[in-house]
Amino acid sequence: MTERHMQDLFREMRDEPVPQDSLARVRLGVEQRVGRKSWWKFAVPLAMAGCVVAGFLLLRPAKAPLPVEQPATPEVAQVVIPPPELPIRTVQAAPRPKRVRRPQRVEGVPVSIRIETPDPDVVILFVN
Amino acid sequence: MKHVLSGRGMLEAVLMGELPRETTGSFDQVIRQRETQVLRTAFRILGNWADAEDVAQEVFLRLHKNGLKFENEAAVGGWLYRVTVNLCVDWTRSARTAQELPELPSPDRSAEAAVLVEEEKQRLMAALATLPTQERAAVVLREIEGLSTAEVAGVLGSSEVTVRSQISKAMVKLRGILNREEV
Repeated sequence: MTERHMQDLFREMRDEPVPQDSLARVRLGVEQRVGRKSWWKFAVPLAMAGCVVAGFLLLRPAKAPLPVEQPATPEVAQVVIPPPELPIRTVQAAPRPKRVRRPQRVEGVPVSIRIETPDPDVVILFVN
Repeated sequence: MKHVLSGRGMLEAVLMGELPRETTGSFDQVIRQRETQVLRTAFRILGNWADAEDVAQEVFLRLHKNGLKFENEAAVGGWLYRVTVNLCVDWTRSARTAQELPELPSPDRSAEAAVLVEEEKQRLMAALATLPTQERAAVVLREIEGLSTAEVAGVLGSSEVTVRSQISKAMVKLRGILNREEV
């Protein structure tokens, strides 16, 4: 086989078609592997964004509850009845009972307490 | 600015920087345009379709990772050739290749002649598989893929002199192997 002949054979190989099933397998493999990587590429930022949103929702200050609209009531003619006039009573505060001061105890002087009872014949005496 | 482009126009627009790069659409377009080149080159170097498919997938994954940062279409082709050859070299180093006979449809010609040419091609491919990977890659790129010596040197990262030397040596070896078989 001459070099020229080999070069002709090589040139023929250049024009030979590649099997379609091989091409399909390459495309499919690349698609799957690129797709898998892309999923990961987006998963991490999405998870981080989710955490940020969740944190924001949990930490935001509580707002006043929104006013609840009352259902509209039908208009009814209102008659204002004045309250009956009552006599004004002034109540005076009860006088504070006066504190009875204990008699100062003097050393050496005997102290005696005399308590009279309703019965005039009974008198209680404390003698120190 | 809205672009309505398809096929080659889309790729050119992407490469000229008129469209946002690294879009899924443009990546798909590059795959469709270059898959035959990548798969055929890998097959001619590795000698079987299963390994060639794996390498081709890896090449396009690297393209996806790299992004379409090329100045022009020729740069895409050169980059793909370079990555394909490098991956094939790594593949053969890891001794994962399983040799199989090529199963390519033959062009129209008489049945007997077609069988004869097919046999010759298979012998040539078998002989090619015995060469060192660098020499095999140089022969595949220049003789089968039709690149110039300068382009092959660019892909292999060597000088034109080295490429010429590699191809010359390879052709001598191939001729020797094939003529020995004929005797």
